[in-house]
Amino acid sequence: MTATGGGERRTFTPDFLTELFRNPLDPGYADAAERKARGEGPSPNARKTYRTIMAVTLVLLGVLLVMAYRQTMEDEPARTRAHATLVEQVQDRRVSNGELQERAESLRAEVAGLRERELGGAAVQRLRDLEAATGLAPVRGSGAKVTLADGATTINPVTGDRRTEAQVKDTDLQLASNALWAAGAEAIAINGERLTATSTIRQAGEAILVDFRPVTSPYEIVALGPDDLESEFRDGYAGRFFAELVKRYGMSFDAAEVDDVTLDAATELKLRVAKPITPLVPSSSPSEGGR
Amino acid sequence: MIAVLALIAGVVLGIVFHPTVPPGLQPYLPIAVVAALDAVFGGVRAQLDGIFDDKQFVVSFVSNVLVAGLIVYLGDQLGVGGQLSTGVVVVLGVRIFGNVAAIRRHLFRA
Repeated sequence: MTATGGGERRTFTPDFLTELFRNPLDPGYADAAERKARGEGPSPNARKTYRTIMAVTLVLLGVLLVMAYRQTMEDEPARTRAHATLVEQVQDRRVSNGELQERAESLRAEVAGLRERELGGAAVQRLRDLEAATGLAPVRGSGAKVTLADGATTINPVTGDRRTEAQVKDTDLQLASNALWAAGAEAIAINGERLTATSTIRQAGEAILVDFRPVTSPYEIVALGPDDLESEFRDGYAGRFFAELVKRYGMSFDAAEVDDVTLDAATELKLRVAKPITPLVPSSSPSEGGR
Repeated sequence: MIAVLALIAGVVLGIVFHPTVPPGLQPYLPIAVVAALDAVFGGVRAQLDGIFDDKQFVVSFVSNVLVAGLIVYLGDQLGVGGQLSTGVVVVLGVRIFGNVAAIRRHLFRA
């Protein structure tokens, strides 16, 4: 901005922002006023023309404002509509997922029935034992129930810090289930989620996921096994560890013997490796599931 | 007076004829509006200062809108469109603020 205005010369100021704040008005207005005062202004005719042009410009401005307003308003419902559609899709998928799960379960039961009929005798018995041991079939029996629950979360009134030491962590559940396995457990379920050889117990923020399903406090770890499972757990490393946690942080822990409980089968089993027992017969028809 | 009437006429025209912005120009519409507002507030302030000039207003309006759009377009081509439009909005915003403050001083003597 080097325009000359008033009597003094306007010069570059080093501070652009200061200049911007101090002189928001176009210096052109001052120049025009000065010219007018000197009698060098436009002729009345030209002035009329300029007036018309200004009116047209303002009409344009009005149209511009309306267009901008319209566009903003039109964009808005599109955005909310997209969101609503996504929510709807999620819900739809959830419903169909549930239906498919049900169907898979009934098919699984059908397969089990057919297999029993076809194989018969010792083979079925062996298969059942294997399934029970791996967590793929429901089992029933007696054993131990370990209950862990979060202690109170205290919040420091001054700093607002949350002390979460008393909360059960994923490692606690891992420790408990490993100790139960070590004590001779044959099947374990945490809050009804049956553990298999590939199960995971993980922390995701404040939640604990067992096989990617969230479980919440109180955590009930039910294990089937020998009669002394409970006492062995309580006297073992894990039992002493939890007793210490109770004493120190106020977490709650309990182990008890249970009789005649049923553990459901693990819900999701992923087949990772499969080998055909008999070599595939090459055929012209596309084989089903032959990946 | 003419100015206010023309503005109202423009708004009415916009509502009645419902003009649509070509999709290619849509990103520049908000910037154009801010630039136009800068020119308008400058004009209002000049009016209150008693030095309003029709030609100056028209020129500043048109050039403001065009230059703002051009800068943003250039920024888009260079891949810094977002930052440049922020810059344009900041500069114009500061000017609008200063002009409005001057208008306020005129109207309320404070």
